[in-house]
Amino acid sequence: MDAQQVIICRCEEVSLEELLSTAREYQCTARELKLRTRAGMGCCGGRTCRILIEQIVEQATGQVPTHTVSLGYQPPVRPISFQTLGGKSS
Amino acid sequence: MNDVLVIGAGPAGLSAAIAAARQGLSVKIVDEFYRPGGRLLGQLHEEPDGVWWNGLAEAARLDQEARALGVNISCGVSVYDIARCDDRWRISTTEGEWESSLLLIATGASEAAVPVPGWTLPGVMSIGAAQVMTNVQRVRVGKKGVVIGVNILSVAIARELQLAGVHVEQLILPPLSEVSGKAGRPHEIMRSLLRVAHLAPSPVIRLGSKLMGSAWMQRLAVAFFPSKGVRMWDMPIHLRTAALEIVGTSQVEGVRTARVTPEGLPIPGTEQLIPADFVCIAGGLSPLAELAAIAGCPFAYVPALGGHVPLHDEYMKTPLPGLYVAGNITGIESARVAMSQGTVAGLSMAQASGLLADDSLLSQAQLQVKRVRQNATIQFHPDIAAGRELVGQMAAAWTAR
Repeated sequence: MDAQQVIICRCEEVSLEELLSTAREYQCTARELKLRTRAGMGCCGGRTCRILIEQIVEQATGQVPTHTVSLGYQPPVRPISFQTLGGKSS
Repeated sequence: MNDVLVIGAGPAGLSAAIAAARQGLSVKIVDEFYRPGGRLLGQLHEEPDGVWWNGLAEAARLDQEARALGVNISCGVSVYDIARCDDRWRISTTEGEWESSLLLIATGASEAAVPVPGWTLPGVMSIGAAQVMTNVQRVRVGKKGVVIGVNILSVAIARELQLAGVHVEQLILPPLSEVSGKAGRPHEIMRSLLRVAHLAPSPVIRLGSKLMGSAWMQRLAVAFFPSKGVRMWDMPIHLRTAALEIVGTSQVEGVRTARVTPEGLPIPGTEQLIPADFVCIAGGLSPLAELAAIAGCPFAYVPALGGHVPLHDEYMKTPLPGLYVAGNITGIESARVAMSQGTVAGLSMAQASGLLADDSLLSQAQLQVKRVRQNATIQFHPDIAAGRELVGQMAAAWTAR
């Protein structure tokens, strides 16, 4: 298996190669890379790949992390049922 | 309504609940796991003085003490949102909504992944998952495993697996890539392992670590690192071998490896296949601060503390009204540090409620955090003190605005 084909975001099935080439082509921020590739936008909310996306941006563009969290968090931060979201206990 | 809500029933959350309840506050804790204790539950290791640290027993002790003080502990409950409404915090959980004027976020840390080709195969897990299965659920993770990622946590947990009778064949490095960071460079690993070499049972390694203070000695040591690896705490550590790929058709069957240069580059013609039925990936820990981010708390990026941490002062108070943090969410350190931070947070919340009978309790608890940190046998990062100072300065500057 080609090392560049390794999956980074499992939910949206985005590979290292796709993330690297996109980050290099657009010299983008972590947030823009997320929006362009959907990495980190799957049902888990980027719990595994969030840090990897930031690392890839740093490697590809030289942007170093700042004190501000680059990829925002939105509720719900855990996968929950529509029933729970609708106000009923599970 | 409770005076205090605590998110996370680990060492920090339980200690905070105990401290606050002792001062007469009514406290409720929620935790996502089905039993209280957090990461304490998996911990089992021998300290340099020969005394065993049994996390399960520590967790049971804290749990009993909290319950005896009337603390309400709800397990198996996930918090998915927090919001400020009418001078109070409201947490939304899978069991409904709760409100309080004081909220402590003690959610600990999450494990960082290191992607390796084949890491999506069944049988690949994080090192922390292997620890929970082994020490908490008593499930055998496999017969023969390979650990990818050599760091303090992975060596300690690999040792726990061996104590439980699970065979760990080798600890090796991840392949050098854009996402492996320092974890793929033998030089960097050698440097970080030297910080804990004083804990090694072998006098040779202890002596060796003293001789290796200089950078060139470290380079030499990496260059001549024995191809069979070294046994540290009886663990087969291979600093000059990296995983290239995890192989298998429907589940893990082995790991393809290669010898690497001191810089981490694979040496052609040295490939090997290590048969294995499970693989643990160890990428280290980073603070789990998603709820603090949603609350609107400002952050500091401090690599020595494991990444982004919510700003907080020495009272464990964030710049947001009534919002406190304690434990690994404030930086990666030992369970003992988390416990002492929790006590500070609990007493601070009592003081904020006007229920702290004796203010000296709080200053003593703050001193205790520093004492525990100084006496820590495992220093997770050499710059923790400097990192903590930076967070404190940023918190003060934020509050002064």
